[in-house]
Amino acid sequence: MSEAHLNSKAEDADSEQNFARSAGRQLLVFALLAVVFLGALMWGLQTLASMVGSSTASAQAIDYDNHIITIAIREEPPQLDSTRATDVSSGMILGHLMEGLLRMDLNDRLEPAIAERWELTSAGAKFWLRKNARWSDGKPITAHDFSFAWRTVLDPATASRYAFLLYPIKNARAINEGKLPLSALGVRTPDAHTLEVDLENPTPYFDKMVTFQTYFPLREDFYRSTQGKYGADADKLLSSGPFIATSWIHGASMYMEKNPYYWDAERIKLNAINVGYITSDPGATLNFFKDNKIAYTTLGAEDLAEALQQRWHIQREQDGAVFYLEFNHRNDRLTRNKNLRKAMQLVLDMDELVYKVTKLPGYLPGESLFPVWLMGVNDYFRKEHPAPKVRLDVEKAQAHLQLAKQELGLETWPQLVLLSGDNPLSNIQSEWTQGVFKSKLGLDLKIDKQIFKQRLEKMHAGDFDMVLGGWGPDYDDPLTFGDLFASWNIQNRGEYANAELDRLVAVAQTSVDQTERMQAFAGIQQIMFDDAVILPMYERGVTYVVNPHLHNIKRRVIGPEVDFTSAYIQK
Amino acid sequence: MTTLDKDAFQPLEQTQGVHKLSRPSLSYWQDAWQRLRANRRAILSLYIIVGLLLFTFLGPLFWDVDPALQDVDQISQPPGADRSAYLVEDYLPWQGQAQPARGSGLTLAEPATTQAVRLVWAAQPGAAEYRVYRNIYPIGPERAFGLPLFETPAQQTFFEDRLDLKPRQYFYSVVVLDNRGQETDRWLSLTVDVKRVVTRSEAIERGLMDAAEEVPLGTEFKFALHPLGTDYLGRDMLARLMHGARISLFIGFFAPLLYILIGVIYGSTAGFVGGMTDQAMMRFADFVVALPFLLFMILFKVIFSISPGESGILPMLVAMIILLWPATARLVRGQILQIREEGYISAAQLLGAKTNYLVMRHMIPNTMGVILVTITFAVPGAIFTEAFLSFIGMGVAPPTPSWGSMCNEGRKTMLTTPHELIFPALFISVTVLAFNLLGDGLRDALDARMRNRD
Repeated sequence: MSEAHLNSKAEDADSEQNFARSAGRQLLVFALLAVVFLGALMWGLQTLASMVGSSTASAQAIDYDNHIITIAIREEPPQLDSTRATDVSSGMILGHLMEGLLRMDLNDRLEPAIAERWELTSAGAKFWLRKNARWSDGKPITAHDFSFAWRTVLDPATASRYAFLLYPIKNARAINEGKLPLSALGVRTPDAHTLEVDLENPTPYFDKMVTFQTYFPLREDFYRSTQGKYGADADKLLSSGPFIATSWIHGASMYMEKNPYYWDAERIKLNAINVGYITSDPGATLNFFKDNKIAYTTLGAEDLAEALQQRWHIQREQDGAVFYLEFNHRNDRLTRNKNLRKAMQLVLDMDELVYKVTKLPGYLPGESLFPVWLMGVNDYFRKEHPAPKVRLDVEKAQAHLQLAKQELGLETWPQLVLLSGDNPLSNIQSEWTQGVFKSKLGLDLKIDKQIFKQRLEKMHAGDFDMVLGGWGPDYDDPLTFGDLFASWNIQNRGEYANAELDRLVAVAQTSVDQTERMQAFAGIQQIMFDDAVILPMYERGVTYVVNPHLHNIKRRVIGPEVDFTSAYIQK
Repeated sequence: MTTLDKDAFQPLEQTQGVHKLSRPSLSYWQDAWQRLRANRRAILSLYIIVGLLLFTFLGPLFWDVDPALQDVDQISQPPGADRSAYLVEDYLPWQGQAQPARGSGLTLAEPATTQAVRLVWAAQPGAAEYRVYRNIYPIGPERAFGLPLFETPAQQTFFEDRLDLKPRQYFYSVVVLDNRGQETDRWLSLTVDVKRVVTRSEAIERGLMDAAEEVPLGTEFKFALHPLGTDYLGRDMLARLMHGARISLFIGFFAPLLYILIGVIYGSTAGFVGGMTDQAMMRFADFVVALPFLLFMILFKVIFSISPGESGILPMLVAMIILLWPATARLVRGQILQIREEGYISAAQLLGAKTNYLVMRHMIPNTMGVILVTITFAVPGAIFTEAFLSFIGMGVAPPTPSWGSMCNEGRKTMLTTPHELIFPALFISVTVLAFNLLGDGLRDALDARMRNRD
């Protein structure tokens, strides 16, 4: 007994060693068990998934046997009614389902589509439609389908936000404002396959405009049969283009099959496009691409390192869109004050935003409402009329801010609301803006993150002080940007009104002299700067990767963002 | 065999001190504290928690950095990154006006800096356009040139790269495009080492030098120190972690304290009164348990008319208090029911003790252990809930940091800059683990039945 007691110290040390050893052994056993269990669980789940989801098994990026590709889109189209669609997602899907009178080829040149030939004069345009052009239910596409579509767009009851795109047509604006009946529209259909258009003013770019979605045809009997739900579902759509939407599971996926009645069906090599995923998370689409689940994805700044490491062939394109901080100019908003806007203009360093914060190749720091790729008279518009440059100056900005405070009769600045999207890129941009305004001007910003649909609603309702807005071109003329802030434009979401700007827009719309028109655009560019109507942030570029076996994908500045209609699969 | 003699039957001498206590008298709490002290894990956890409290409340006194301040020179910097920069003149736009390319290949027009890398190359015959690429890996046989930066027309044989330049090695290539815009197999390449610089006006703005000061070009400056690195907008991680801890600990302490208080009052009332009242009260508690927490959190957000962009901390607190008390109430009610039937309570009642005395002297002290243990386990639960809700974007509003929202932001760049995720995640894990281990230790220490085990 006493002996044991004496040795207790030695035994303690011994037992401690034993304890460590046995604990180590136990841990090892546990770790092994955990690994085995996890392995079994993963295997089990995988078998279960393959048993349950036989349909998802076919969702490979490229189905070589059936010529089907799978892609992902960022946002779900609110609806696919070409008369009302304004957003990029709708534009992209509609570009595959529908076709207008004319279209752009792979080199961005006009080519005949449903119209086999056309004639454009300063007074009007005439289109001769193909006899073999048919809707996806087999009935022929007639000139009446176009005149009906255009009247629907202009009908004040439709409240189409893109109605202004049709204003070059005679009486279109008066009809849209409810001053003239629909029948007064300057469009005639002498027979089923001839369409004559009278123009309000000479419009040298009208043939380019008819390629846009708002000019797409619509069949009256089908449209009426849907009772106001046209374009809301796959079976409430009629296609005039290369594909038919055969399934549309809202919020999840979409399936487009080749249209057998399409007049140019031989051109289409893909049998179907499976829009398998709708997600605005670039990380998710990157993983889909890596797992060979989709054939195409754009890359965000945080994905570039991964793409470089994978040694993918990265591609880049200027996508034509301009993004800006848009102010609310309504009477009840502080941002109506010019000095406040000027102060903000003097502190935001767009070089910093583009080169250090967003860090994406192909982006250009914003200097003007008019992007660099627009053509002027002889050269690029921005070369002929360079944009006025902001010289950043915090002291001057604070002086403006002080003035604004006096003019508005404020003691302290209340929180201003910055409306923003809910994707990672918008998050970074809005937080950067918030940080700059706070540190340089002492202004507090509240970031209102909204999903796309909700953000559009709030923008149109004027429920913001500032919004990260942007505009993609609808046709190849500076006017597509130039008229955005005209007081009558429904896209002028901040309701900016300036008589001089309206006058310049009118000149640009009606004049036939290109030099005079470009002068007018230069004037608009100057007003945008002087009045700080908007703060141009950047011109968007896009970085993307395509499955190396998929060829002839076309990214467009105008029209559908990505065009898969000419794509083909080749190993 | 021993024989008994008379001496064996002598009475013992009277001695004092037989009834002397061998150990000092210990109250319940002293005893508990002693046993807790013997538990090394629990004590270590206690130190960690105290350290965390110091970090949160005293830390900002020593590390006085605005957690919302953006340092755009040091975006997504890992801890311990080199922060020296050399002074250069202010940035001036460049139109390729420097000397033409020497030789036939691709060269630098000026030394490469983080401000700009200016490339010039000799015109290539038959080129319609050039495409400039940049890579961080050497270009191998698969010819993945890396990041396409720009296309330049045939007459422009220079390019300026300003995109997110880091002080490191880059591999630039210029690929010749034919007149259909397709890449040919002719390309030039150049390896460039970029040096970190700061321009004169930036240095003045960052407070590195005075505007009046005459500092020669090439002087070395040190950028602001960020001991734990910076996040995706160049904000200091250490300051953000300190301020984020406030939110986490505020929710972590306040919510459990309040809902456990409610639970204790509710449960002890039910248990003490008993009968129909008890039945009714406990059925109501069952009903509250069935309410879904997340849904109510969203509902409270709506009721408080909190729009996106505003902090959701208050509705979170309210939702937790309103929905999480029943567990404590049940526990306390069970304890009280048990104690009510103990012999010493009956004895006290027979001796004429009043209800007040019974509650204060017997009931509450005897349930205290259970309550304390519940609190220590509820705290990590609440911290975790806050982190989770902030992670899914229902918690704090930017730019206020919280550990959960920092994790969410760090997750996006997990592969390239892991420190943005690892630090907040580490803090959450360590805090939750420390509270759990402490709770474990407390449970052992406060359990009266384990009192005489050792």
